[in-house]
Amino acid sequence: MLSELSKPANGTVDQGFTMQCLLDQPEPLRGVRVVELGTLVLGPAAASFLAEFGAEVVKVELPPAGDTMRYITPGEFWQEGSLGFLPVNHNKLHVGLDVHRVEGQTVFKQLVARADVVIENLKAGAMERKFGLGYRQLREVNPSLIYLANTGFGQWGPFSSGRASYDALAQAASGFAAISHFPGRPPLKTNTFIGDWTGACLSATAVLMALFYRQRTGRGQFIDYAQSEGLIRLLDWTWAFVGINGRDRAPAGNQDVAMSPAAIFLSRDGSVAVAAPLDPEFRALCRAMGQPELADDVRFCNQEARLVEENLASLHEIVGGWVASRMTDEVVQAGQDCGFAAARVMCSRDHYLDEHLQARGAVWRFEDPVYGDAVEYGPVPKMSASPGRLRWTARPVGFDNDYVFGTLLGLDARRISQLEADGAIRTWGDRPGARPPSGWRGEGMLLKRSGR
Amino acid sequence: MTTTPDTTWENWAQTATDPLNAMGKPEALDGVVVMDLSRGNIGGMVCSSILSEFGAEVIRLESPEGDPARGFTPYGQMHEGVGLGYLVEARNKHHITLRLESSEGQSIFRRLVRHADIVIETFAPGVLDSWGLAYAQLRQLNPRLIWAAQSTYGHFGPRASTPIADYDITDQALSGLTYFNGERVDPEQPHPCQVPTKAGSWLAWYVGGVWSAFGVLAALLFRNASGEGQLVDVSPPEGLARFLDFNLTWYHAAGQIRERIGSLDATVFPYTFVRCKDGYTFLAGFSDTSFARLAHIMGRPELAVDPRFDSVAKRTTLETAAELMVELEAWTARFTAEEILNQVQRDPGTAPVVTGRVNTPLETFQEENWWVRGALQRVDDPMYGEVVVQGPPWKMSETPPRIKWLCRPVGHDNERIYLQYLGLGTSQLHDLRARGII
Repeated sequence: MLSELSKPANGTVDQGFTMQCLLDQPEPLRGVRVVELGTLVLGPAAASFLAEFGAEVVKVELPPAGDTMRYITPGEFWQEGSLGFLPVNHNKLHVGLDVHRVEGQTVFKQLVARADVVIENLKAGAMERKFGLGYRQLREVNPSLIYLANTGFGQWGPFSSGRASYDALAQAASGFAAISHFPGRPPLKTNTFIGDWTGACLSATAVLMALFYRQRTGRGQFIDYAQSEGLIRLLDWTWAFVGINGRDRAPAGNQDVAMSPAAIFLSRDGSVAVAAPLDPEFRALCRAMGQPELADDVRFCNQEARLVEENLASLHEIVGGWVASRMTDEVVQAGQDCGFAAARVMCSRDHYLDEHLQARGAVWRFEDPVYGDAVEYGPVPKMSASPGRLRWTARPVGFDNDYVFGTLLGLDARRISQLEADGAIRTWGDRPGARPPSGWRGEGMLLKRSGR
Repeated sequence: MTTTPDTTWENWAQTATDPLNAMGKPEALDGVVVMDLSRGNIGGMVCSSILSEFGAEVIRLESPEGDPARGFTPYGQMHEGVGLGYLVEARNKHHITLRLESSEGQSIFRRLVRHADIVIETFAPGVLDSWGLAYAQLRQLNPRLIWAAQSTYGHFGPRASTPIADYDITDQALSGLTYFNGERVDPEQPHPCQVPTKAGSWLAWYVGGVWSAFGVLAALLFRNASGEGQLVDVSPPEGLARFLDFNLTWYHAAGQIRERIGSLDATVFPYTFVRCKDGYTFLAGFSDTSFARLAHIMGRPELAVDPRFDSVAKRTTLETAAELMVELEAWTARFTAEEILNQVQRDPGTAPVVTGRVNTPLETFQEENWWVRGALQRVDDPMYGEVVVQGPPWKMSETPPRIKWLCRPVGHDNERIYLQYLGLGTSQLHDLRARGII
């Protein structure tokens, strides 16, 4: 696949990295088995990222309703599925297992005995208290287990009990929201589940660390991840600034106050980001603006001067004035021609139609056995020797019961029937979000037993 | 049978994972050698920070003049000669210099790279090629090498050769987040702030760095199995786009573009920030049972059966949500955030109703919880003094991550690193320094 890499092709590896040859490469996490008992985004997305790189993820849901995220969708359901649920659950095996029941707990332990990783995002300690399935119980059946517990505020500490959490509470508690809006305006909820998603990625990375360590030592471990602390970690220079100055970091709207100039401006036909913090870039921007003399202005002639608060503000106005008189494409082109960074503000349709993102599999089209033609954001790191991929999107509750309990665990038909009769193993309830699309005829089931 | 543990879960978890106990424990990436070439780019440094927190030996390689990112700092504020943006992500790193633009510097880098497990770089595609230092040109020297490249458009695809530096603000714009984030356009009260709005922090850079770390770890695991290194290509805007919920799926399914709606929400409501007596607070109770409980706590049980608000679908309709917002704020405006939290916690109901104050960073800084948990730490660095920085967010029982030191001046570790890896002695270094190579 990287044959083209042997000759430097202007810095890119264009031909080597095609979607076509990608599927012939092995996945880096092949052979890693993950059992997920999660809801919403923080736990499930962590498992999804591992599944996109080849881990076998068994997603355990409480039947018949399953994950709450199945009912969180903008406007309508799509083919009986939730648009919020699909992007969080790629390439997983979905089982409906009621861990409230003792029989369900027994089967869960059998799964864990065969797994490498458990991921959950229930309230702190609930796995142990409610189900007897906490880390301390599960390591008895699997001593080298890696167990990831994701929450809002962690497993211990002042906020760990009695405070429920959601993504936007983490945005609020961490300080993230208070710096992400215009001065003098109300705080803004960043309108994606940003603490969940970043937390899923950070915590999945810790799982990989633990797997790497386990390969060397055979030892598993327990990981406590709090999404509010993840957002705190992502707030760049905020804490050093507050600590040194003893005063707040103020919101600054669309301006980056640590680089100058760097901001998102309104153009004649949209919004465009411009950044030219280094001296050569700034000189290039001045040329593009037709004001080359600004580069020698004592207020702006070097990186340090441009960051002085008054100069920062004056320069912001000057660049903003220039952008306001131009079309977005002109600004972007000027950046490429002259040598500064400029990029337009893209929307979902721009992504969907973008040939570059399609060629990179960042926008990934695939044929899903249940939902048919599907388009989702693809695996993020592009790996030349062991790339990730999307094979299928989320599935109805209990879709893979037969495969997981019958084939993987090897439970015999009588035992499975008994578990079904007890209500420990079940499939989807008859409601949108949980059930398959109306025209579905059994496509994609890995093993079908008679009588279904 | 399950044994009954003799300590509570919380006590066990704290004993097992408290960062205060980290220093005596092993590190997951002990022995892994990383060369970080990031230039003018904090995103690449976030990747190497994460690897360093888990114990990798990270060598920052700057030009002899120092990385211009040392000057990326709010309002130009410097601390002991370094900008705050750099100071925070220089943790645990050894700092050496090398002029990659010179042929002698290039041959030294070729020697260094034989000793590395991982290289991190953030140059626009093509820059390293022109110096003969691209992955394609170096991989023969070290087939086990893992090469993490972070750039705005990535290293392949039609726009890969766009010659722009990778900055957070352009990455945020391209990610798709900015487009639908920000105040909603209000035709009756238009305001210049009702525009696409970026996240306040260097979100795209940081997200790119986290994804690179994820990719590097997947590559390390693959190398354990195959003996083979590889290229890990990360575009930060693609990394942030992956975090946009149903953004793309909605367009595919229904042709709907996700638009700006302020702090309202297209999928769950109430789930928003509301004005209260002492600022703003978050308030959520979005399922039917949760909303009924919230209405009860508000002393307005009739709201739950009000035909305007009695289903999830109705509450998430924007106009209805705006009406409901008026009702919520009529209640919340009478109390402080703390009083609202107390009312929720006192209520015996069980359906999730979630609330908590929108803190400014200074208020967050003053809460004990983050210090107890090590999310904020006061690090005493021998060269940079006492500085508060954010700690690693993971608490781990066997291989806890940690901060060892904060930062080092340009070229601080030249002697040690060049001696250790290349056997260069004092006079050789003196000579290289005299010619401006290091």
